[in-house]
Amino acid sequence: MNPVDEPSGLRRRHVLRLGALAGAAAGLSGCGRGFGGRSDDDGRTALTMAWWGDAQRAGFTQQALDAFQAANPGLRVRTEYQDSSPYKDKLAARVAAGDAPDLMAMRFDSLREYADRGTLLDLAPHTADLDLSGLTPQATALGQAGDKIFGIPSGLNTIGFVVDKTLTDEYGVPVPDGDTWSWEQFGTFAAAVTKASGGKVYGANFELWTTANLLVFARQHGDDFFSPQGDLDVRAATVVAWFQLAEDLRARGAIPPAGFIDQNNGASPAQSYLAKKSIASQIIPTNNLLGYNQACGGNLQLLRIPGETHGARRGQSIDTPALWSIAAGSRHPQETLKLLNFLTNQAEPAKLCAATRGVPPNRVIAAQIAPTLEADNRRSSDFLAKLQDETLPPSYPYPVGASKLTNILKSISTEVEFTRTTPAEAGQQFLAQARKALTT
Amino acid sequence: MTALRARRQDNAGYLFLLPWFGGILFTVGPFLASLYLAFTDYDLLTPPRWAGLANFRAMLDDGRLHQSLQVTFTYTLVSVPLSLAVALGVAMLLDRGVRGLAIYRSIYYLPSLLGGSVAIVMLWRYIFGYQGIVNDFLAWFGIQGPGWNSDPRFALSTLILLHVWTFGAPMVIFLAGLRQIPAMYYEAAAMDGASPWRQFRSITLPLLSPIIFFNLVQSLIASFQTFTQGYVISNGTGGPAESTLFYNLYLYQKGFAEFDMGYASSMAWLLLIIIAGFTAINFLAARYWVFYDN
Repeated sequence: MNPVDEPSGLRRRHVLRLGALAGAAAGLSGCGRGFGGRSDDDGRTALTMAWWGDAQRAGFTQQALDAFQAANPGLRVRTEYQDSSPYKDKLAARVAAGDAPDLMAMRFDSLREYADRGTLLDLAPHTADLDLSGLTPQATALGQAGDKIFGIPSGLNTIGFVVDKTLTDEYGVPVPDGDTWSWEQFGTFAAAVTKASGGKVYGANFELWTTANLLVFARQHGDDFFSPQGDLDVRAATVVAWFQLAEDLRARGAIPPAGFIDQNNGASPAQSYLAKKSIASQIIPTNNLLGYNQACGGNLQLLRIPGETHGARRGQSIDTPALWSIAAGSRHPQETLKLLNFLTNQAEPAKLCAATRGVPPNRVIAAQIAPTLEADNRRSSDFLAKLQDETLPPSYPYPVGASKLTNILKSISTEVEFTRTTPAEAGQQFLAQARKALTT
Repeated sequence: MTALRARRQDNAGYLFLLPWFGGILFTVGPFLASLYLAFTDYDLLTPPRWAGLANFRAMLDDGRLHQSLQVTFTYTLVSVPLSLAVALGVAMLLDRGVRGLAIYRSIYYLPSLLGGSVAIVMLWRYIFGYQGIVNDFLAWFGIQGPGWNSDPRFALSTLILLHVWTFGAPMVIFLAGLRQIPAMYYEAAAMDGASPWRQFRSITLPLLSPIIFFNLVQSLIASFQTFTQGYVISNGTGGPAESTLFYNLYLYQKGFAEFDMGYASSMAWLLLIIIAGFTAINFLAARYWVFYDN
């Protein structure tokens, strides 16, 4: 062979081989992609379902799905779950990639982000397959945008103040009446716990950086926080009062000193300051009462948010920890509707889901299963049922951009906590940044 | 015969390159896509719209972006020299011919593998929490320490500490480099009465300078791209009060939490330019301090 010819001959061969190798590499990597096939080998139609939560919720969910599959032999549900924060990020990427789960858990503050961009199925025309007659208008409104419905509450909840009765008894501090207590009484109570324990236990963990808490406070001051049109509807004076309240509570020793509570500690009851017995009370979503009570030794009392009978109007509302939404691009909308209808309107899954997802949105089912619930779930269920019979402000999905408020509020709250800004300045900052977040 | 062997060797070479080709295929596409997206308004869920330079203009008055740049630069400028110094120090200690070197090397390398894991978050809380070990220790002296993770004045320093703690990767490379320095240089220097410090400055540092340079470039690039540690410790928020809002963490928030992938893409390109700039400066400066033996 002529040595001069060799390089060019080799080069072509090399290039061809490179191409083949690259192709093989692409093929191999291709195998690892995606979340598995859509149709099973056994001919059953496979639905995908994604949600957030922990292993306990996973167990209950799987039991409910087993019951669904037993009743519908032609269907199979592939489910996956994660912790709430990674779930939120992953869902955005999945939907963007055109790989949305057929049925997905949707955050109350993100529903409009997805719905307004056309990624969710409007459920309103499908009431023949998805029976919504058992839901109160207030419950349906939680997933409603105009006359369209983009989500069904997976359960109903609200926020409540839990007090560790074991600690308050130990230090001899009486727990105020939870239906009528004021913010002032709350402060006095919490400061008394701190004092009686000699600083070993602080009266409360006051999460001023949680939007849902501020929202209730704003309503008590006569504001909507979010208007039905989706604007920010809260006065500067209200937000300033919120930050001022926290500063006063800290000055009285009712809540721990700056830096004691790590905002980013995570939401697991077992890791909470309440479970560590370093605080005696805090606000929780009521559907988590069982989890918190187990983690705290079983003597938690559930109270309403302070100030409900003292403000311009009621602040608490009936909300949902998560909505169920169906992907607009679902290849099996009929089957997914069937699954959603099953979860919403059957007693068995409702009973299983009620354990961690809140009170079933279908009031008939809720009343039917109430006597069978565990004591803690029975308590949170009764707590909610009582509130449902009262006239409360309506609750509706947060506007587009609202999920950005979480980090804004966290950041400004920290500035107030470490007295790097005054409540008055913080209020103005929050309004300016929140308005910008909602409009851009 | 020889041609056959040569081809076999070629094949082996390509086989080893296979993962790289696979990687390139999945990098070039997104790379070009992000360049396009950088000039669009793209919310992930609806098709991108051309926006020209709007994203780059918006960067000028984005306070959070400026904060993230400040955090990332502070972190890089403090943690990179610090961790390289520690890595070199430990490598030199181990190079003294300790018994059971392989075990020590593994132990010191271990944190590099753990740096971004959830277990570390728990450990960090346990150590640096308001009621953590550090403050328990300070309490013996009657000092009430701050919440090292929850106080915006200190949160970044615990992350710098975490970075320094994961010095294993540069250390292993330093160790290999130290092994390459012929012992006769030290013997000759010792005979001439050179102190250990003098030996370090005149033999170790110059002969090790290519390795230091390599580690410096690698660490700088990695440091500018820091994400995982900030993400896990602050639960993705960059808090407290944006004090650990790394550039990449903010980019991630913009793209995946705030549905602003166009802006996130333009941020990615800005970061590329920053890193390329620093690397170029490094290579230019290297002419004056990196010494190649051959």
